[in-house]
Amino acid sequence: MSEQDETPPAEGTTRRRALMLGAVGASAIVSIRPALAQTNASVINCEIPVPDAGRAGSYIAADGSVVPAGTPGAFPPATFAFKGEDVKTALGGGQLPGTTYEQSQAYVKYIRRLQSGTSGFTCFASLQMPRG
Amino acid sequence: MRHVFQVRIGPVGFRVGSDWRAPVARLEDLYAAYPRPEDGIPDFTVRLFAARPWRRWLRPSVTLGGDFVLPEAAPLPLSQGLLAAEMAMNLQMALGQRRYLLLHASTVERDGRALLMTGLSGAGKSTLAALLAARGWRLMGDEFALVDPETGRVHAFPRLVSLKNGAIPIVRAALPDARFGPLIAGTPKGDIRHLVPDAAAIARMDQPAEPALILFPRFGFAPARRPLGPSEVFVRLTQASTNYVALGERGFDALTRLVREVPARAIDYPDAEAAIAEVEALWAGL
Amino acid sequence: MAERLFHAEPAEALRIVPLDDFTLVFHRPSGLTHLVTAPAPEILAILAGGPRTRDALLQRLAEAYDLADPSPEALDARLAELVAAGLVRAA
Repeated sequence: MSEQDETPPAEGTTRRRALMLGAVGASAIVSIRPALAQTNASVINCEIPVPDAGRAGSYIAADGSVVPAGTPGAFPPATFAFKGEDVKTALGGGQLPGTTYEQSQAYVKYIRRLQSGTSGFTCFASLQMPRG
Repeated sequence: MRHVFQVRIGPVGFRVGSDWRAPVARLEDLYAAYPRPEDGIPDFTVRLFAARPWRRWLRPSVTLGGDFVLPEAAPLPLSQGLLAAEMAMNLQMALGQRRYLLLHASTVERDGRALLMTGLSGAGKSTLAALLAARGWRLMGDEFALVDPETGRVHAFPRLVSLKNGAIPIVRAALPDARFGPLIAGTPKGDIRHLVPDAAAIARMDQPAEPALILFPRFGFAPARRPLGPSEVFVRLTQASTNYVALGERGFDALTRLVREVPARAIDYPDAEAAIAEVEALWAGL
Repeated sequence: MAERLFHAEPAEALRIVPLDDFTLVFHRPSGLTHLVTAPAPEILAILAGGPRTRDALLQRLAEAYDLADPSPEALDARLAELVAAGLVRAA
């Protein structure tokens, strides 16, 4: 890390290792996150219910949030859980099977907001991991 | 749950209960040469069950259960029952294993030293492991490498090797005398066929090995190799481990030791032949 | 407003393993592993000797190293990251 300097150090000073604090927007820390994702492909063939079983019956608003059943403008729950492959396609811009365009958009936004602990999260996390 | 199967794979004993005879019959057949759990006490239980009573007979559908479950695991048709059992055993390890640090890697051994090949599904780890086994390497496992945090050694976990699609004919050609499970077509990953590890792999499953080389192979690219520094290997391996975080400081110890002591390379390869040649060259150069 | 003092976690709370350009830090209380790079290990080493204000820390860094960019804002950003990761406390 030290740089080669042709000029000799001035009298009374000592050589110091170069250091940079870095830009304000940069980062010097990466925290390791748990990864169930990598082995998911061989571990399960996954499905994502919309919404998760804990909130079954609730509707999905256009922005993906979970709202009470019957909320005007919101979509009813999906009639079946979506397969991992279908969700992957939808995340890439396709449409979820058996849904209208607006419904699919709302469902995909719901899926993107899934938190650890809700059913469907680990499936979603595995689909997100880069394959390259 | 009227049908039961028990087996020991390396240091881990499994008990599989099933509502149907067929998957258990398959397991008994393919794992016939394996020992039973130590003292008859399994470490993990798997349940293959019908979620609704009529699911036992009407378009029979196997739901994966056991000590550890993921609610989003989709059921599989009974025709893929063997796959369901294998996936469920993987799930018990992925979620429940705490004695060993798990790395998603295939492992082969020669002269007491282990080669770990890790990376994403489809990178060719299982195929390479099978082909190296055909060339005299001992197969230690194709899904999970078990690293002992106390000793740093890798322990064998030689389950059935899961081969997909194009890999199936390649490995069948390379191992004409090996036992294979049935062809399971139409799975979410395409065609799958299981390879039974050979007698040497089974006989020596209790012999650990010192890790000597870690490879990150990528299939389908022009040949290339790149050494990897320890911090890059460390981060990649945390992403290849399902229990690194759960193991806490023991996991930290195991993984820092591994990346400091064992060299690592990323290799790109166009076909299996090139990969095998590269592996042998790297191994000879250690 | 009194100058904030930054405290490192106690020595027994951290396992620090330098690798290459990166250093691994295992934080025992949280069980989290962090990968850190310069100047984080250097900041942690200075704070291990006792708490400092941002300005005192900047001065010490400039004395100990050939600091190309001795900007208080940059050090604020580094400290904020370390606090967010739980490796440094602001009191």
